[in-house]
Amino acid sequence: MILIGELSLWVALLMAAWSATVSFAGGATRRTDLADSGIRGLYATFAMIVLASLGLWTALLTKDFSLEYVAGHISSTMPSVYIFTAFWSGQAGSLLFWALILSMYGSIAIATSRRGNEELIPWATGTISAVLVFFIATTCFKANPFTRLDFIPLDGRGMNPQLQNPGMALHPPNLYLGYVATAIPFAFAIAALFSRRLDAQWLGIVRRWTLLSWFFLTIGIVLGMWWAYVELGWGGYWAWDPVENSSFLPWLTNTAFLHSIMIQEKRGMLRKWNVVLVVMSFLLSIFGTFLTRSGVIESVHSFAQSPVGPWFSTFFFLATGITIYLVATRLRDLEAKAELESMVSREAAFLYNNLLLVGIAFAVFWGTVFPVLSEWVTQNKITVGAPFFNAVNIPLGLLLLALTGIGPLIAWRRASLSNLKRQFATPTATGIITGALLFALGMRAPYVLVAYALCGFVMGTIVQEFYKGMRARQTIHGESVVMAFRHLVARNRRRYGGYIVHAGIVMLFAAFAGMAFKLDNDVTLKTGEAFETTDPYGHKWRFVSQGVSTSEPRDRQVIGVGLDAYRDGKRVGIIRSEKRAYHDAQGNPLFQPITEVGIRTTPGLDTYVVLAGVRNSDTAELRITFNPLVVWVWAGGFVMMIGGLIVMWPQAERRRAQAGYVAVMRPATVGSDPVGA
Amino acid sequence: MSDEQVRVLSRRAFLSGAGAGFGSMIIAVRAAAQQQPNPRARMTHDSSIVRDTTNLFAMDQGAARPVRLPPKPNAVKQLTNVQRDALEHQLHCQCGCTLDVFTCRTTDFTCQVSPAMHRDVMALVEGGYSAQEIIDAFVSTYGDRVLMAPPRSGFNMLAWVSPGIAVLAAAAFILAFLRRSQSPRTAPLGPAAKGVDATDDELARIEAAVRRDDE
Repeated sequence: MILIGELSLWVALLMAAWSATVSFAGGATRRTDLADSGIRGLYATFAMIVLASLGLWTALLTKDFSLEYVAGHISSTMPSVYIFTAFWSGQAGSLLFWALILSMYGSIAIATSRRGNEELIPWATGTISAVLVFFIATTCFKANPFTRLDFIPLDGRGMNPQLQNPGMALHPPNLYLGYVATAIPFAFAIAALFSRRLDAQWLGIVRRWTLLSWFFLTIGIVLGMWWAYVELGWGGYWAWDPVENSSFLPWLTNTAFLHSIMIQEKRGMLRKWNVVLVVMSFLLSIFGTFLTRSGVIESVHSFAQSPVGPWFSTFFFLATGITIYLVATRLRDLEAKAELESMVSREAAFLYNNLLLVGIAFAVFWGTVFPVLSEWVTQNKITVGAPFFNAVNIPLGLLLLALTGIGPLIAWRRASLSNLKRQFATPTATGIITGALLFALGMRAPYVLVAYALCGFVMGTIVQEFYKGMRARQTIHGESVVMAFRHLVARNRRRYGGYIVHAGIVMLFAAFAGMAFKLDNDVTLKTGEAFETTDPYGHKWRFVSQGVSTSEPRDRQVIGVGLDAYRDGKRVGIIRSEKRAYHDAQGNPLFQPITEVGIRTTPGLDTYVVLAGVRNSDTAELRITFNPLVVWVWAGGFVMMIGGLIVMWPQAERRRAQAGYVAVMRPATVGSDPVGA
Repeated sequence: MSDEQVRVLSRRAFLSGAGAGFGSMIIAVRAAAQQQPNPRARMTHDSSIVRDTTNLFAMDQGAARPVRLPPKPNAVKQLTNVQRDALEHQLHCQCGCTLDVFTCRTTDFTCQVSPAMHRDVMALVEGGYSAQEIIDAFVSTYGDRVLMAPPRSGFNMLAWVSPGIAVLAAAAFILAFLRRSQSPRTAPLGPAAKGVDATDDELARIEAAVRRDDE
C-alpha cells in the first residue's frame, strides 16, 4: 500500500496536469469532450490522491521508520490517534493533505455545479487542477513524504508532546479545510472572468464555498487559541504570531465578502469588489502558507534556503498576475447594475463594514510582513509584536463592532429619519445604560468602557430583531414563542443565523475587553508558604504551596507544584502546574521541556498557574494570573459556529424566495441580467 | 457533432489520459522495485505549520548581552514592581522566542536569556533610571529589535502610519463613490430608469414588501 501510495502521487500529478490542460482547452474551444475529459481527470486526481494518502497513513500506522517522514514525526510509544494526525503534522504531509482536500472539494464542487454552469465549468475545473498541479508537484519534488532514509532507525523521533493535544489534533485540519475552500470561489471567479459570464450565476456557488471556508477557519482559529491557552502557558490565547495572523487574514476577507455579496445579490452592485475579495481570500491563504513555510519571517535571508519558499512565491505572483490581468481586461463586464441612493442605507453600512474588515486585514498583513521589509531596507531586524497590533487594530475593531449593531437597523436603499428613530431607540439605550452602569461601578478605561457599551448596543440590536420577527409571527400566525422563534430562524436562516454569529462576535469582544483587567503575579513560594492577592473583581485570594514533587514515568521527568487555593477565605481546591521533560529510551532529551498549566475556570475568571521554575528543590517560581472572562472566548466561538451552521443549512429555493433573498425581477429588455441569485 | 460522437471522443480522450497515467505507473513500479533507499535523505524533523507555532520556544541561549550602566548618584528607584513588569512587557526576549521578557521569564524555566535581561532591568531600576532611560539602554545594546513594537521614527514610522493612511484613503474613495452615486446625473428611480416592466403601483407595492421584509 505504501508503494502504491507513493506511485499514485506521481500519477496524480500527471492526471492533474492532464485535467488542467484539457479543461482550459475545452473552455477556450468550447469543446465539451475536452471539458468532460478534464472533469474526469479531476476525479481521477482525487482518487490517486486518496490512494497516496492511504499509503502515507498505512506507513504511519504500521510504523514504517524507513520513511523519513514517519521516523521524523512519530514514535512507537505514541497513542494511535496522534499517529493518525501525524499525517498533517509535518510539511510534506500537510502539503499532501492540502492536495487531498482540494481534490475532494474540487470534485464535489464540479459535480454539484455542472447543471446550468456549462460555460464556467471547464475554466473552473482547469483552475482547480492547475492549483492541484502546483501542490502535488511541490509535494513530489520538494517535500515528498515518501522519501526513504538510508537506514532504518529502531524508533522514530516522535511528535512534540505539546502537539499531542486534542485541540492540536483538530486545529490544523480545520484550518486547512478553511484555507483550501477559498480555492473553489477563486476557481469560479477566474472561470467567470475567463468566460465573461459575470452575472449573478456564479455567486451562489461562490457564496456557499466562502461560507464553508469561513466556518472552518472560525473553528480552526478558535481551536488554535484554545490550544495556545491551555498548552503553551504564556497566559493568553492570541499572540499576533505570523502563523496566527496568516489564518486570520483570509477569515477577514471572507467575512467582508459574505457581507458585500448581499449587496450584489440585492442590488447588482460591488461586482468588481466582490471578485477582488474572492481572489484576495485565496491569495492570502497561499500567502499565509508561503509565509509560514518559506522561513522568510525569521529572516529575509532564510527565504532562499527554504525548499518550498521559491515555489510558493512563484505560484503566488503568477496567480496574482493572472488575476490582475483578467480583472483589468474585464472591467466593463463588471460595471454595477445599480447605484447607491443614500449614504445612510444598509448598502452603505456594508461598504463601511468592508472598509474596516479590509483595513484590519491590511494592518495585520502589514505588521506581519513589515519586519521583512524593514530588514530588507534598513538591514536592521525589528520586532512587530502585540503592542503594535493592539494599537492599530483596537480602534478599527471597535468601529467594526459598532457597525455590527448599526447595519441590521438601517433599511436597504435609503433609511428615513422615522425608520432610524424607531430602530435605534432601544439598542442605543441599551448601550448607554451598559456603559453608564459600568462607569458607576468604577470602570474607567476608555477603550474598555466603549467596548462594553458597544457590546450592549449590538446585543440590543440582535434582541430587538428577534423580538420584532417573533412578534410578527405570533400576530400573523398565532404561534407560541418557541414555534415563532423556530420558524423565524428556519424560514430566514441567512438573516437570523447571521445575527447569531453577531451574538458570538459580541461575546468575543466582551472577553477580549475583559483581558484589559488581566493581573499577573510573579511569585516564589517554599513548601507551606502562602501568597495573598486580590483578583480584578476585588475578591481576596490565598494560595498555599503544597510543595514541589517529582516523578519519573516511562518517557518523561515531571516536576510539579500544587497550590491550595482559597477565595475570600473559602477553599476552592488545588491548582496544579507541571513541567515535563520528555526523553527517549536511552534517556536523551527530546524537545524543549513543556508546561502543563493549572487552570481553574469560572464564567467570570480563569485562575491560571504556571510553574516557571524550581530552586533548591523546594522553592517554586510561579506566575499566577487572573484572566477575566476567558471562557466567553470559547463560548463565543461555539455560538459563531452554530450561527454559521444555521446559515449554511440548505434551504429550499421557494423558502429563499419567501425570505426575500431571491428577488428576481423580470427584465424589461433582453440582455439585462436579473438582480439576485 | 452529434452527442454520440462527443461521447466517443471524450471517452477516447479519457482513455488516452488514463492509459498514459497507468503506463507511467507501471514504469514507475518497476523503477521503484529496483530503488535503493535514498542516500541523500537525512533524519530531520522538518518544519511544519504546528512546529512554527512552537517557535514561541525556539531558543538561542547565548543571545543575552550585558546592559549595564553605573548607578546614578544618590540613586532612588523610580519604578514600582508593577511598572517594572510593564516595562518588561515592552522588551522582546532575545532567545529567539516571540515573547516579551516578562512573559518568557515567567513561562519557561529553560530560557537563560530572559532572566539575564530581567536582572539587567532590575539593576537599572535600582540604579535610579527611568523607564525610558532603561529602554534606551537596551536599544543601544541590542538595537531596535529589542522592542516589542517598531520605534516611531525613520523608516519604521511607515509601519505605524500606513494602516491609518490606507483606511483613510479607502474611506475617502468610498465617500467619493457615494457622492458620485448620488449626484444629479444619476437618473431618478422610476419604471423607465430601472428597466423593469411594472407599473408605478406595482413598484410601490414591491418596494413596501421589500422594506417590510428588511425591517
